[in-house]
Amino acid sequence: MKKSSFRRLALALAVLVLLLIAPHTLTILQIRMVNEIAYFALFAVSFNFLFGYAGLLSFGHATFFGLGAYTAALTLKHIAGMPLLLSIVMAGLVGAIGGAIIGFFCVRRKGAYFALLTLAFNQFLWAIAWKWREVTGGEDGIGRIVPQGSINLGILSIDPTKVEGMYYLTIAVVCLCLALGWYITQTPFGNTVKAIKVNEERPLFLGYNVHLAKLFIFTFSAFLAAIAGSLFALFQDFVATSSIDLAMSTQVLFMAFLGGTGSFFGPILGAAIYVYFTDWVSSLTDRWEFILGVLFILLVLYFHRGFIGLIPKKLKEALVSEKSS
Amino acid sequence: MSILELKDVHKDFSGLKVLFGINLALEQGERHAIIGPNGAGKSTIFNLITGKYTPSRGKIFYKGEDITGHPPYKVARLGLARSFQITNIFRTMTVFENVRNAILAKNRVCFHIFSRLAKMDGIEEETERLLAQIGLLERKNELAGELAHGHQRSLEVGLTLASDPELILLDEPTAGMSTEETLEAIKLIDRVTKGKTLVVVEHDMEVVFSLADKITVIYYGKVLASGPPEEIRDNQQVKDAYLGEEKK
Repeated sequence: MKKSSFRRLALALAVLVLLLIAPHTLTILQIRMVNEIAYFALFAVSFNFLFGYAGLLSFGHATFFGLGAYTAALTLKHIAGMPLLLSIVMAGLVGAIGGAIIGFFCVRRKGAYFALLTLAFNQFLWAIAWKWREVTGGEDGIGRIVPQGSINLGILSIDPTKVEGMYYLTIAVVCLCLALGWYITQTPFGNTVKAIKVNEERPLFLGYNVHLAKLFIFTFSAFLAAIAGSLFALFQDFVATSSIDLAMSTQVLFMAFLGGTGSFFGPILGAAIYVYFTDWVSSLTDRWEFILGVLFILLVLYFHRGFIGLIPKKLKEALVSEKSS
Repeated sequence: MSILELKDVHKDFSGLKVLFGINLALEQGERHAIIGPNGAGKSTIFNLITGKYTPSRGKIFYKGEDITGHPPYKVARLGLARSFQITNIFRTMTVFENVRNAILAKNRVCFHIFSRLAKMDGIEEETERLLAQIGLLERKNELAGELAHGHQRSLEVGLTLASDPELILLDEPTAGMSTEETLEAIKLIDRVTKGKTLVVVEHDMEVVFSLADKITVIYYGKVLASGPPEEIRDNQQVKDAYLGEEKK
């Protein structure tokens, strides 16, 4: 094994150990915050598969986050004896199907038209969630979705109704999904997506089916976003239109840009900073959204490489030997 | 049977007529140059053959198969590769990654997700072999966009060749090159296209007469003349329309 990949593995293990022992040293509120960071990190990474890797700017990524959240809630609520883990898988599948259908229309458009189309689909699905009260509960949403009882995985038993239980469940699912995402970036398909971002025309004449590649990455991104959404629903034990509205689409965009869209890990850092920062600022003032808005403007104007750009290149290379793109 | 055949191909862009009934047939192993003044429709012919545009009328056959209106990636997979007049490479990727992109397409593994790219057998070797062929092996870790112009043109040709095509279409491969670079480029093209069918659009008459064994002259959307170089050189119509202009 190469030195760099060994170092990367060691780093991943260290982070994992830290996450596992964290609940023993943190307060309940802090555990909940890390939990929140975890599913938003997955959501932000899923967004960045479109923007950072494929160069597709989506203004409606909450579509899939919401699809996942509602799927988890509805399956748990309406199917008797529905296992919690299966509801997460179902959420991912519904997200992927939704992604394939919506992606089919979106990837044929470029730039602003792509962005507007994702926005339009988002509005459309939000309107359904808002108006179809019999199913979604409209603005009142769906509450009390997490079933009683522990999840037994052989030697391991997790109680998702407890803060620690939900934390471990979220961390496990998020880590699995992030590992899958990272792996995809290392495959020829991952390379294809990067190549298409750099130059869309040339691959076409080399024999790449560019539309299909975009559709696949769109679907994969929707799959990850929906899983994140299901974890959000489970954590809140409640789903309403806030999971699928435009504010959520903006939020994920903000997180990704805050951390930096040029690397795999940027959006994870962005999610952490965003959750921590909003928690802190909202404890200081009621006008925290105003401060956030100003921050976003400054970010886009002067700081578009995001916080990950602040980490010295040498240190980053030493840690993960990730070449900045 | 001809390897490539254009039958009465017309193209107009929302009213602007660019090609009026092009007929062209290429034999296997032929080295064919297409010449003509600016705006004659040479690049449009390439764009029609490779699927970027669809003809307004007429048909295009590759080895007897009708490829009219096929999307570019399908045409490319049949073994028909083109280069671009304006360098069209992956500028922010390394030279190695550029060629590897083409090699992956050739091996039909662009959508492969069951192994990591770095672990795949043969891809790296194949990439390096091609890099050596086009003389860019020692520059493989440089960013493509930072190469000197001549080297970028070599890479452009290299991407075209990487798929091991049977029919190669080069759109002004020596555009913007110095005389010295042009000579190098001709040698390179001559060497790496041995035994293949070659179509080249070119302005530089030196390149045309040293590479081609058949020349077609396009003049305002029509074929003015087609034949061996000597014949074209002596053709009065061609002299009036095109070659004469060059000497003025």
